[in-house]
Amino acid sequence: MGSYSFIQPKPKPLLSAFSKIWISFILFVSVLLISFGIFLLLKIHYYKIDKVNTVNERVALESKIAKIDTYMEYLLRQKSLGEEIYTRNTLLKESMKNLFDLVPDKITLNRVIIKKNSLIIYGRTPTKDTFNFLLSAPLKSIFTTSNTMFYLTQNGWYNFVSTNKIAPTDGFSE
Amino acid sequence: MVSVSNSRDRSLEKINYIKLLIYLSVFILVTLILILALVLPSIKRYRVARNEYNQAMVHKTRVEGVLKQREKELKQLQLSNRKIFDSFGHKFSQNEFTNFANKFFDTVALKEVNQSMYTDEYKVYELNVTTLLKTPVKFYKFLDGLNHYQNLIQADFPIDLKSRGDLIHSSFKIKVYNAMKKK
Repeated sequence: MGSYSFIQPKPKPLLSAFSKIWISFILFVSVLLISFGIFLLLKIHYYKIDKVNTVNERVALESKIAKIDTYMEYLLRQKSLGEEIYTRNTLLKESMKNLFDLVPDKITLNRVIIKKNSLIIYGRTPTKDTFNFLLSAPLKSIFTTSNTMFYLTQNGWYNFVSTNKIAPTDGFSE
Repeated sequence: MVSVSNSRDRSLEKINYIKLLIYLSVFILVTLILILALVLPSIKRYRVARNEYNQAMVHKTRVEGVLKQREKELKQLQLSNRKIFDSFGHKFSQNEFTNFANKFFDTVALKEVNQSMYTDEYKVYELNVTTLLKTPVKFYKFLDGLNHYQNLIQADFPIDLKSRGDLIHSSFKIKVYNAMKKK
């Protein structure tokens, strides 16, 4: 076969330089945008994981707060009971001190029974009047009811039993 | 890269406007599709996720603050009432109490009468105490001392004081409060 051209044939490129530039540019921009999209998706994924972890940590902290609150309530009940006991002891001391301070020197006590709402005093007094003026009057001002029985002794003094009661709700604290 | 040395490829020298328009359209189309389908929704979701995370962080920080405050309050409460809390936890010993009471009374006898629960948190021992003392002042001092004793003890009614020669025979009840174990 004969040759129809003086120059050697060269294979024609499938794409022109112009096309190659454009295709490369489009591909480059696409890759850039897809990479950015993937980057965002990864960030979203990590934010979601971090959020779940943060929520879990918060729930753990809240549970710790609830435990502390329960424990503090328990301690506050303990504190309140402790203070109440200390106050009761102090009140009892003051009550007894007041009671013994009330008793004049002329009257001798043989026995004192202190209950929550009552006070029973056994003792000796030279006269009924001494008792009535010096001890009975202050007792009557403290207690709701106050009754005294006298027994004459051989030496002319009186043995007495004074029963004093206070309204049940108040308790003996004077 | 594109070979410019190719003497036959004159596509860059003589631009085909139809092709240019097609490529430009394809470029705009592809870019728009990617932006609308991928980038914009992702940015939106990213913002939502970031806001949710930030909110969770703010919430957690607030809770951390509350926890720190509670821990501080608890510490303060424990410090300011150490005596009461220690007393509740201290195991009651009859011998130790007798030794303590002997500082105020001439003779001391203890008798356990009851063990019961006071709510579900405390165990209460009730004991009868009988003593001989010289003056009621000793009894007041004992009651004062009771508030500084290592256990939490309440002197309780009935209190019976009887004259016995130069001494006073006393009989009264005490209640010892012990806290049950708690975490």
